[in-house]
Amino acid sequence: MFILDWLTGVLGYLGFSVPVCRGRFAFLGLPNSGRRSLLNAVLNECLIDPVEATLQPSEELSIGNMRFTTFDLGGHTQARRVWKDYFPAVDAIVFLVDASDRSRLPESRAELDALLTDEQLSTCPVLVLGNKIDKPGAASEDELRNFFNLYGQTTGKGKVARSDIPGRPLELYMCSVLKRQGYGEGFRWLAQYID
Amino acid sequence: MTTYEEFIQQNEDRDGVRFTWNVWPSSRIEATRLVVPLGTLYQPIKERLDLPPIQYDPVLCTRSTCRAILNPLCQVDYRAKLWVCNFCFQRNPFPPQYAAISEQHQPAELIPMFSTIEYTITRAQCLPPIFLLVVDTCLDEEELGALKDSLQMSLSLLPPNALIGLITFGKMVQVHELGCEGCSKSYVFRGTKDLQPKQVQDMLGIGRPVPGQNPNPQRVPGGQPLSPANRFLQPVHKCDMSLTDLLGELQKDPWPVGPGKRSLRSTGVALAVATGLLEASYANTGGRIMLFVGGLCSQGPGQVVTDDLRQPIRSHHDIHKDNAKYMKKATKHYDSLAARAAANGHIIDIYSCALDQTGLLEMRQCCNSTGGHMVMGDSFNSSLFKQTFQRVFAKDPKGDLKMAFNATLEVKTSREIKVSGAIGPCVSLNVKGPSVGEQEVGLGGTCQWKFCSLNPSTTTALFFEVVNQHAAPIPQGGRGCIQFITQYQHSSGQRRIRVTTIARNWADASTSLHHVSAGFDQEAAAVLMSRLAVFRAETDDGPDVLRWVDRMLIRLCQKFGEYAKDDPNSFRLAENFSLYPQFMYHLRRSQFLQVFNNSPDETSFYRHMLMREDLTNSLIMVQPILYSYGFGGPPEPVLLDTSSIQPDRILLMDTFFQILIFHGETIAQWRQLKYQDQPEYENFRQLLAAPVDDAAEILAGRFPAPRYIDTEQGGSQARFLLSKVNPSQTHNNMYAYGAGMPMPNGESGAPVLTDDVSLQVFMEHLKKLAVSSTA
Repeated sequence: MFILDWLTGVLGYLGFSVPVCRGRFAFLGLPNSGRRSLLNAVLNECLIDPVEATLQPSEELSIGNMRFTTFDLGGHTQARRVWKDYFPAVDAIVFLVDASDRSRLPESRAELDALLTDEQLSTCPVLVLGNKIDKPGAASEDELRNFFNLYGQTTGKGKVARSDIPGRPLELYMCSVLKRQGYGEGFRWLAQYID
Repeated sequence: MTTYEEFIQQNEDRDGVRFTWNVWPSSRIEATRLVVPLGTLYQPIKERLDLPPIQYDPVLCTRSTCRAILNPLCQVDYRAKLWVCNFCFQRNPFPPQYAAISEQHQPAELIPMFSTIEYTITRAQCLPPIFLLVVDTCLDEEELGALKDSLQMSLSLLPPNALIGLITFGKMVQVHELGCEGCSKSYVFRGTKDLQPKQVQDMLGIGRPVPGQNPNPQRVPGGQPLSPANRFLQPVHKCDMSLTDLLGELQKDPWPVGPGKRSLRSTGVALAVATGLLEASYANTGGRIMLFVGGLCSQGPGQVVTDDLRQPIRSHHDIHKDNAKYMKKATKHYDSLAARAAANGHIIDIYSCALDQTGLLEMRQCCNSTGGHMVMGDSFNSSLFKQTFQRVFAKDPKGDLKMAFNATLEVKTSREIKVSGAIGPCVSLNVKGPSVGEQEVGLGGTCQWKFCSLNPSTTTALFFEVVNQHAAPIPQGGRGCIQFITQYQHSSGQRRIRVTTIARNWADASTSLHHVSAGFDQEAAAVLMSRLAVFRAETDDGPDVLRWVDRMLIRLCQKFGEYAKDDPNSFRLAENFSLYPQFMYHLRRSQFLQVFNNSPDETSFYRHMLMREDLTNSLIMVQPILYSYGFGGPPEPVLLDTSSIQPDRILLMDTFFQILIFHGETIAQWRQLKYQDQPEYENFRQLLAAPVDDAAEILAGRFPAPRYIDTEQGGSQARFLLSKVNPSQTHNNMYAYGAGMPMPNGESGAPVLTDDVSLQVFMEHLKKLAVSSTA
């Protein structure tokens, strides 16, 4: 399978060295944005259609030499009230957006804005993943940047030293969990800001 | 001649039993070769409105080691007024009050249709049930308000003579004195101290009565027994007004919670105080501790996590990696409370409503050992909790609560067969007797178990072993007998004894295996094996359990399948075995054995329900049912398979825990366009309404109330359905034919995003392994 080849390719590229990077991430996003599928994809290297009930517990996963503990926090309205309880426990936030569902983008934006203005998270790195770009008609990176007011806010892909960033590291990556594309780059970007 | 199917159904209706094998193999060695153990599901107080009211004591076999109860299978000599015990063959004289019996004039317990019968012991003392509310106050205003409403409502559902008490907790634990006029008094305990039972008694000023003496020595003639705990436990009719006020005045725990902190919640101490209170005042009397929690225990004994939000609650992963720091200690604390409560006949219910986990994993034995309810919801303000809580107090047509207290189940067997253990919401009473087998399955080494709580649907699994040696054949036509004796406190306070006596034929499995295999009950077998698997999963590693399930299935197929060696295509199973592999396939995929995607609390909750429900409900849990609604005709059951997902169909899925209505793509579009509101599309409106009505019917009868989900093709909640259906079409095989083309046949259902193996692939592997001469 080409997907598997690609994945092992990425892993090979990253190298199977001793984990050097450890971090605790919260996976946030509206229902159906692909949080759980992303976790499954990385964790089990297989897709299981996830059941969403309440809060999902933490899982440990590794990509290459990065090892993360993740909290997948439910996306439905009541569960979002619990998000803030987990902020003290995490080093970074991964926020997923369903780029193919334009009707829910405003709701997504409101949640992201709330996160970015939360005082507890003022220095916490945030990775925004625009998921489901495999679907026809999904929003492009530019469209999302525009819609989420990220122009001028993001701190640049590639290697940018933490000391050069005034506030928190913030970046948008597009991905397809189904095709297992895109999120690897995002995680690698995030890894450089985890001590 | 009735078929086995009818025979099995009749037996379930009449006696509440479902045996895995309805013809028993006549020797130990043959029994072990059947792969699926000889066992039964038994509902001790199955609802039977047609039972005659019997107001006298049962007649017991006079042999001191037997003490079986007179039943329709006993031989009776009407002239000599003798009966022969069908278990030990002792000849017993009838007691004098049976002097008038004759062939025409038989007492009910000798009539074959009353193989299950119930005696009410009128001379026993009537005891009102006890309800002790233990209420978490670390809740926000909305949650606490909703909970208070539900509790106030529940007072009207209790029998007026029932005793009730109230304990509230947050950082501190308060035991409220009831029935003092004008002012409210309470005893306060610190939430961090591990209190010994004696300390609780001393601080509350209630002494434990000297063992061996009557626990309630003072008694007002004809009235309530007076007891030292009176200040805390009052009859409902006396205190419902003041208790309603007291509940209404409950405030959120006043202790401040700093930023980045959790509330300090002393669930562990609260439960210890509640257990101590009941134990000291009403030992061996039916009582319910009802614990309502909205979060984690964060201090003192039973602590699951600290109050620092930087430390999140344990996950399956942490447990697997031995990283769950507080789990073992907390579990030990709750296990010991569970054991104490069970020893005194007290029930512990846990109503947990929170978006995060509340520590059900650590507390699970409290419910599992005492038969208490475990209810898991998001919010006390949800209909799920409110309906469930109301149903706890469901009443039978006579107006009595459908609950039984402080029961013991005893099993008596013919000498060729012994009982090896039970798996159900009970504890072993460690009573040795002639019926106890050498093997141990589940809670074994005893012929008596205690069920602190029984509902009409409570079902226990019982396992048996044949002890007859192969060299000592049982005479042709011989039958083996089992008697189930359940003594319990009815909710009206009466002491009752339910007796079920059954018999099955023996057959020599080495010469006539077909007789034995014809009596196989695949549904009972699936549920019994599920219970065994889950029982193992509580202690063993996940993959080991799955391997065990696989091995047992392969061995069963090898033994009972028809095939030519090494030819998978020749493999056939008899009709009464044919569904069994499918049940096992769904069991492997179920939330009972797959912990991924579930929190430890959820896993505990799901397993808790599987260990107590009856056969029908258990099967639904293992393999959900799917109905399809279309314009073409009445709703029909369809395969739990991706191929059942069609654009012009509505599906109703029942997983026991969830009821889901799924609208196919076309139906969903029409619904969005509001066709149902236009008079010319009346039939569409009816089609939309049909599954909703059916779902309402299921919802009304289920405990705990299931989660109700209304979704459509592509909807976020559709994953509930997609995670359950057999993935016969997935994104993998869809694209496997190259060039990213969807499957050519357009009517082939919806693909599921999964890498799970499908039933078809599973069956192919199974056949290959079963026929293999090397495996």
